[in-house]
Amino acid sequence: MLGLSLALFGAALAAALAGIGSAIGIGVAGGAAAGVMTEDPNKFGSCLILQALPGTQGIYGLLIAFFVLNKLGLLGGAGAVDLTWNQGLQILASCLPIAVVGWYSAIWQGKTSAASIQMISKKPEAMGKAIILPAMVETYAVLALLTSILMLMGVQVG
Amino acid sequence: MSYIYAVSRLRGMENHILDSAFFSRLMDSAGIDEALKALGETSYSQWLTGTATGSASFDKAIDSEILATCEELEKFVPDKELLTIFRLPYDFHNVKVLLKGLFKVRGGDTEGRRYDLLSKLGTIDTEELTNAIETEEYGFLPYGLTDVIPQCWQLWDSTKNAQAVELLLDHQMFKAMLNVAESLKMPDVIQWVKFKIDAENLRSAVRLARMKYDSSKALPFFHEGGTIRADDMARLLNEPQETWSRILSYTDIGSVLGALNEQSDMKAALSDVSKALDDYLMKVLERAKYSMDSPANVLLYLLTKEAEARNMRVALVCVAGGLDREFGRRLLTNGR
Repeated sequence: MLGLSLALFGAALAAALAGIGSAIGIGVAGGAAAGVMTEDPNKFGSCLILQALPGTQGIYGLLIAFFVLNKLGLLGGAGAVDLTWNQGLQILASCLPIAVVGWYSAIWQGKTSAASIQMISKKPEAMGKAIILPAMVETYAVLALLTSILMLMGVQVG
Repeated sequence: MSYIYAVSRLRGMENHILDSAFFSRLMDSAGIDEALKALGETSYSQWLTGTATGSASFDKAIDSEILATCEELEKFVPDKELLTIFRLPYDFHNVKVLLKGLFKVRGGDTEGRRYDLLSKLGTIDTEELTNAIETEEYGFLPYGLTDVIPQCWQLWDSTKNAQAVELLLDHQMFKAMLNVAESLKMPDVIQWVKFKIDAENLRSAVRLARMKYDSSKALPFFHEGGTIRADDMARLLNEPQETWSRILSYTDIGSVLGALNEQSDMKAALSDVSKALDDYLMKVLERAKYSMDSPANVLLYLLTKEAEARNMRVALVCVAGGLDREFGRRLLTNGR
């Protein structure tokens, strides 16, 4: 049972930490968007795109949590597989990249998005560049997602 | 509310600040009617009536615009003390106006009071301030005015020197500004206030040098609290002006004095140095532009708005009075 508990703890971390990061990031970008839109409501479309960018980490965390639950047989009603504590620990470790990187990168992506929102308030024509800057932060969240997926695929269970 | 919201909103508001191209166009207006027409598209139009052609009505309109800006910022800036730093000089201006009026009244000039010179931009309501000073009930007054106004009266009674009273109030104003800045614990803002004190001291030094003032008696003209000590400023008067920038090269503000070296005409030097110091104070705060949540952005916006107002005043007075436009252009500061 310890193995299963460790694996579930990993899934919970992936979904929770990445989700918390996304919530903070979107909150930061939302504050900036509200400020800009108070002066110019026509910028809603541009602001919404930039505000949504830090939300992806939460989705990546959820994806890994689903991946783990599926691996453990907890989805579809087949019943949980037996895990040693060592296997549980391996799954927990696999969840850590997206949990930690997702958490931090979402916050920083939120800050970059906020700066980009401020940029388009003065230079609306620079929307393309404004998206690229926070998207650079996304790279590392994607890398962490890939790492978590590859690690999980390597863990033998059942 | 957070500074991310506040700074983002200010970024939006900055789009409405009038740029140098607009002022250049305003200066080129054939007459005041054409200038007022150009102003019709700006936020100033709501304060300027069709009959406004004198500098007093321009001043009122410009004050109304800045006051409206301060009131708007008060709604969303998390630390109201940032606005206090900006508005505090107007409180001290009002105190000076009221005291000078009373000095004249005591001297027998019953028409000495100049309520028309009071500015609404101060943090203390002008009526309350007037009542407090006229009834000598200073107890509720902030920024150390409770203590400094009686000192002003004592100084006036013993010396009858209005300039000395002004200096005493200026010392207190900078002390209060620094106290407010330090209470905010914002390094950028504290540094800016210190540089502002340095700038004011340098301005005084240039003026005193122009008057060939005795350096041993100059210390009271300089304010404490800047990055350069007041007695070091006073000692500058012993040195030729072309060496000042080298003497102050250890400070950031020393570079501003470069303008002095190129000017032999002291009258021109004074206005150029004064303008360079204003630009320098803006430049110090402009570093905050690169931060999305620096509180210094609030101060930067207010100063940019104040510079815009100053430029507006210069342009309108030049156009209305038919003054030399080239001279007017030289007086315009770099707002936006």
